Amino acid sequence: MSVMLTKFESKSNRVKVTGLAFHPTQPLLAASLHNGSVQLWNYRMGVLVDRFEEHEGPVRGVAIHPSRALLVTGGDDYKIKVWDIRPQNRRCLFTLHGHLDYVRTVQFHHEMPWILSASDDQTIRIWNSTSRNCIAILTGHSHYVMSAQFHPKEDLVVSASQDQTVRVWDISGLRKNTPNSAPGTFDTFDNFSTVKYVLEGHDRGVNYATFHPTLPLIVSAADDRQIKIWRMSETKAWEVDSCRGHFNNVSTALFHPKHELIVSCGEDKTVRVWDLTKRSAVQTFRRENDRFWVLAAHPELNLFAAGHDSGLIVFKLERERPAFAMHGDTVYYVRDKYVRAYDINTGSDIGLLSVRKFGSPYVPPRTLSYNPAERAVVLTISSDNGLFELTPLPKDAVGEVKDSSVDGKRGSGHSAIFVARNRFAVLNKTSQLIEVRDLSNSVVKTIKPPVQTNEIFYGGTASLILSSTSSVVLYDIQQQKNIAEITTPPVKYAIWSADGSLVALLSKHTITIANKNFSQHTLIHETIRIKSGAWDDSGVFIYSTLNHIKYCLAQGDHGVICTLDNPVYLTRVKGKTVHCLDRSARPRTITIDPTEYRFKLALLRNNHEEMLYIIRTSNLLGQSIIAYLQQKGFPEIALHFVQDKNTRFDLAIECGNLDVALETARAIDRPECWERLAQQALKQGAHKTVEKAYQQTKNFDRLSFLYLATGSIDKLSKMQKIADARGDPMSRFHNALYAGDVQGRISVLRDVGMYPLAYLTAKTNGLEDLAAEILEAAGLTEADVDDIPSYGTSTLKPPPVVTATTDLNWPSLSAGESFFDRALANGNLENGGEPSYVNGFDSAGVAASAALDDWARDEEVHEDLEAEEGAWDLDADGEEVQPGVEQEEELPEVEADLGAGAAPGVSEVELWVRNSPFAADHAAAGSFETAMQLLSRQFGVVNFALLKPYFLSTYRSSHAYLSTLPTLPPLQLHLRRNPSESSPSRVLPITVRTLQSVRSELSEGFRAVSGAKLPEAQAVFRSVLRTLLLVPVSSDNEAKEWRDLVTLTREYLLGVTLEIERRRVAQDEPDNVRRSLELAAYFTHCQLQPPHLQIALRSAIGVFAKANNHATAARFARRLLELNPDPKIVAQARQRIAAGDRNPRNAVDITYDEFTEFEICAASFTPIYKGSPTVRCPYTNAAFLPEFNGKLEPLTQLTEIGAPSSGLPAPRS
Amino acid sequence: MDSSELYHVKQQFILGAYKTLVDLTLPDPSSPEYTPLLVYKARSHIALNDTQAVVQIVPADTENVALKAVAALARYVGATAAADKDAALEELRDLCVEIDSDDVEADEREKGYVRVLAGTAFARAGEVEEALETLGVSTNTENLEAVAIVVQVYLSINRPDLARKEFDRAKRWAEDDLLLQLIEASIGLVTGKDAYNDCNSFYTEQLGNPSLSSSHLLTARGVTRLLKGEVPAAKSDFEEAVSQQGGTPDAETLANMTVAAGLGTSKLAEAEQLWSQLASQHPEYPMVADVTAKEALFDELATKFVVPPLAVASA
Repeated sequence: MSVMLTKFESKSNRVKVTGLAFHPTQPLLAASLHNGSVQLWNYRMGVLVDRFEEHEGPVRGVAIHPSRALLVTGGDDYKIKVWDIRPQNRRCLFTLHGHLDYVRTVQFHHEMPWILSASDDQTIRIWNSTSRNCIAILTGHSHYVMSAQFHPKEDLVVSASQDQTVRVWDISGLRKNTPNSAPGTFDTFDNFSTVKYVLEGHDRGVNYATFHPTLPLIVSAADDRQIKIWRMSETKAWEVDSCRGHFNNVSTALFHPKHELIVSCGEDKTVRVWDLTKRSAVQTFRRENDRFWVLAAHPELNLFAAGHDSGLIVFKLERERPAFAMHGDTVYYVRDKYVRAYDINTGSDIGLLSVRKFGSPYVPPRTLSYNPAERAVVLTISSDNGLFELTPLPKDAVGEVKDSSVDGKRGSGHSAIFVARNRFAVLNKTSQLIEVRDLSNSVVKTIKPPVQTNEIFYGGTASLILSSTSSVVLYDIQQQKNIAEITTPPVKYAIWSADGSLVALLSKHTITIANKNFSQHTLIHETIRIKSGAWDDSGVFIYSTLNHIKYCLAQGDHGVICTLDNPVYLTRVKGKTVHCLDRSARPRTITIDPTEYRFKLALLRNNHEEMLYIIRTSNLLGQSIIAYLQQKGFPEIALHFVQDKNTRFDLAIECGNLDVALETARAIDRPECWERLAQQALKQGAHKTVEKAYQQTKNFDRLSFLYLATGSIDKLSKMQKIADARGDPMSRFHNALYAGDVQGRISVLRDVGMYPLAYLTAKTNGLEDLAAEILEAAGLTEADVDDIPSYGTSTLKPPPVVTATTDLNWPSLSAGESFFDRALANGNLENGGEPSYVNGFDSAGVAASAALDDWARDEEVHEDLEAEEGAWDLDADGEEVQPGVEQEEELPEVEADLGAGAAPGVSEVELWVRNSPFAADHAAAGSFETAMQLLSRQFGVVNFALLKPYFLSTYRSSHAYLSTLPTLPPLQLHLRRNPSESSPSRVLPITVRTLQSVRSELSEGFRAVSGAKLPEAQAVFRSVLRTLLLVPVSSDNEAKEWRDLVTLTREYLLGVTLEIERRRVAQDEPDNVRRSLELAAYFTHCQLQPPHLQIALRSAIGVFAKANNHATAARFARRLLELNPDPKIVAQARQRIAAGDRNPRNAVDITYDEFTEFEICAASFTPIYKGSPTVRCPYTNAAFLPEFNGKLEPLTQLTEIGAPSSGLPAPRS
Repeated sequence: MDSSELYHVKQQFILGAYKTLVDLTLPDPSSPEYTPLLVYKARSHIALNDTQAVVQIVPADTENVALKAVAALARYVGATAAADKDAALEELRDLCVEIDSDDVEADEREKGYVRVLAGTAFARAGEVEEALETLGVSTNTENLEAVAIVVQVYLSINRPDLARKEFDRAKRWAEDDLLLQLIEASIGLVTGKDAYNDCNSFYTEQLGNPSLSSSHLLTARGVTRLLKGEVPAAKSDFEEAVSQQGGTPDAETLANMTVAAGLGTSKLAEAEQLWSQLASQHPEYPMVADVTAKEALFDELATKFVVPPLAVASA
């Protein structure tokens, strides 16, 4: 049978564990030992948290309070002790005395302050933990009471005794009455608590009995090696069934808190799992030497603890890790033996497939691999020595969810994954063979892996990752050889990044991040078990351990993002949201703060803009990040985080940013700072800063020397004065010396009484008078000093200043002027900062541009696309597709044997021509002749020369070329309108020109109109009308839209042509005011959009007003007002109307009757009033005077006026 | 089982990484792999239209039928005069006859090469029947390269049904060979079965292949995307292919970029610019020839319509 999934094991050196209790919320387990000790373990971390040792002799009963930090224990010293387990307060709070023999079990009530205890003195007692008194004694058992348990909800107690009975007690009386709390009045207690049922059936003493958490059931375990299940009603209780299988005393039996299972343990050294409904054994876990004495279930989690002769184990019955796979933004996962799809964007979560009949009903599937091309999953399960099953998922999850047994394909194997769209690989661990199978589940290839393989993962195209005990191997399936091998602990999961360039290999305590051919990799160690991981979109690996969510950068840097109460299984990380499945396989999201790793990533990629963005928008401060930056060699960046002036100063010195250092030194103003600043500044030659620092520390000597060095004479003389004021002759002398001030020097020497030196100085510098003066002052004459040898003239003087360094500050270290300085100084980035926030892949470069363009376009045209697609749905008519398919399949039957003498088939372009009545489709097919005939018939087109570029570009863009084999001519591939339509009777060429592309061209024309670029506008409108001839329509709506576009464009073309003509007339025949006025007036009758009509009207108003046709101008103005123009234009219009009212006359008489409906002849530009004969353009329907019949239409220059035409053909539906 | 090197070479050859192969270092002439590797190297040269190089690397005095065939193919492809072309074809025909006789010293593999090379030349010359015969269609020679050419020939004469038949036959013995997948993909490209998903997945998968990279694959994937109607995605593939080709696109990429540029947009300037680039740089390319022919056809057809005088106001 399967291996027990041991989570934690502790040895207590031949001391048996006799009592166990889980903490309801924390990963703590209390264990009472036979040696009198009570241990508190953190089973997740595997450490002993505390130890309580006051009992004398074995401690048998232990329980943790469901909501408070309390522990109760009962031992062979007859005592019940209550402990405070908080680390800071840990102590025994009180002891309950009263039992007269060993205490077997103890328990807290779930809401009342009651403690229940069972004892060998044949009684069960209930204690009030507040008053610390015994409030009830339940008597009736005639032998040791081995266990007593409260009912999880009702006021019932169940007890098990060596007298071979299980008893249920009604304790509701305890609630109603306040019992007499005076000690010594025990006999009254019986009134409150009575035996409700006595359950007889075991043949030996009963060791344990407990209630079902929700159902009215009891399970008991006895020395007769049986487990019995009992059912209760309001009035009676009876035995339901027994579970037989233990071959020695059964110590404990429990209901599984979540599933319909019973878990038991016994002295036969086994833990067994039973099906509650079938009462059959499900699993058995055996232990070599240790008899099991006690079993405890975690109230919430799938976690059990068992105590045995030499310690305890904590274990799970089943893997909790749900089988799942990500594709795009959808998680395919298994919950409760159903394959489900969860869309992380919409949150939709639907069941797609039942896998209830796959493998053992008690074991959940272990792995799931999803194939997007086939929309199929392959699952594995560990039961039955490993099985896999390949099942297609339903296209849409409506109606009943199918069971995979219907059309699933199965086989045995331990691990199974898709390796290509139509292949999956299955590992058989025992035979060490990997089979590559196709979708019909037949083996196409068998591989003997080069290493002992325990698990296989997808390894990129045609490759597998093989996990062995000490390494992972990247293995090429086609070639059957190792590509690369990395030494790592056994890898349990492999997670590929979205672009397939990196893979994270998870072991129990390590993560290996490798690139796709394993040529580079980093290893990260964790002390805590690693559970799962997912790649962030920016290329950071986010992973979860038992208690943390952490991140790891590709170069190996890692850190904690947040802590977890319970393990989760990460599926996808999107921005701040981590999507995961919890232990019960429910999708959850956790919001994290990605700032830290984003920042580190930006730092690694030198993405300063993003770093700045992060600095601005987050509160990413604190020692850790500063230390990180400093350690990584970025003190100048760290500088920007720091507020604390001391740290700022240190960082500024470290990175040599003198400005900041100076500023902070001022703020700190301590001598040692100034000294350090001076040193750093001196190194950089920033003498002004050095000067400042010396000044601050009153370091006069250095200051003077600095002035000497920089040649600052003025400053030196000032220093002299300062020295004077300070009364420091040495300093004065220095300064005088540095400054070359001989007089000064002499006067210092004189002042300090060093006359000989003063005299000689004066003498050697040729200051005879002064020398004489000194002599006199010293009371001597020339004669007294005539024994002094005569010295030549002194040449001592300071070096001349070559460069006036004093005025030049040396350039400061360039590092100081960083991106951040600029950004911070400007208060912003050039383009406003935030939008430039990008954190994509580096490689995005080229590919991104086209995609972005498209995205931008998508935004604009969204609605149209929908309309178009909607129309296509009409075409997806199942019935008609059928015959096409059949036809295709029939062909080979008939002609299969023709072999070498194969006759050419029908080409796709011929099908296009057959399938479409549109010239566009014929042009795309290259059948220009039929295309022309169609255009001529449908729209009377005769002048095809103009359409040549349109035909050719349509044809050109309908055929792609690809050579699949060398040296042979490439295949001409025909681009279809609907890629999912391959039936010969329905294929159509791609729509090279769409209505939407025409519309965008049209709007260009509008812009030209607004900008008064009339010839351009005319060209655009003509081109639009020509293009429209080669736009196929696919629905009535599109046909209508097409016609509207033709009409609209015609009106604009006519209008623009009129205006061009007017301008020509105005220029060429300035006297012909009348014609000019007429044309302006006609222009206002073209059906333009309001903004353009306003232009036409305003232009007309201007022309008419100028010609003193005020009456008509006023009428135009009124029409203008109806269009609700700008206030400014309104004002002008009102002026015109007023002028017209004042002077309601027209100076020039023109042919213009605005009150009768008319059309404008597009050739002669004259009105054709309603009812007069017209001929029309067969394409645009523009009106012409009858005299133009049979001529070439002047607007589009394509058609013959008045030619018969059938118009746009009906779209195929 | 081929050696690892030969396997690699074949894989790269199949996936169009000719540029890598022409730099291939050949093993010692005594090595059993020498001939096949030389054949592939020479074929890569031919695929790149560098037939002169073949003359240099293939010994002129060789007795090996495969090498003779590859040299003949090079001459055929490189020849401009019809007479030279015919001579090369004749030579290939002779070689085909030679390998069918029993006394020739050539192993099965080499015979296979001869058939494939001759078939290529015949198919190129438009001799469909001869090509099919040479390649042993409907016979059970297990030569996948021959099958690939047969399939291509069928596809080019619009007989995808026969192509599929041939493919299905090959599937029985060709295990899971890469070339078999390529054949399947090319059938998919033409028939559009499965909405082009299969061929698209094939090229996407091969792009992820860790052991080679070839810009041809990107172009090919772009074409499948075009066929699927994903024009912007296709464009980005082409752009990336161009950047892999060092900025100067090959004819195929350029041709397909021209196709993509003309789709769905009103701005034709880009398409026209690409087109003139293609037409001037690769006047031999089938697309250029085809479109040029269509241009002439248009002009001819347009004259059949009488264009009346423009309607102008007589005043």
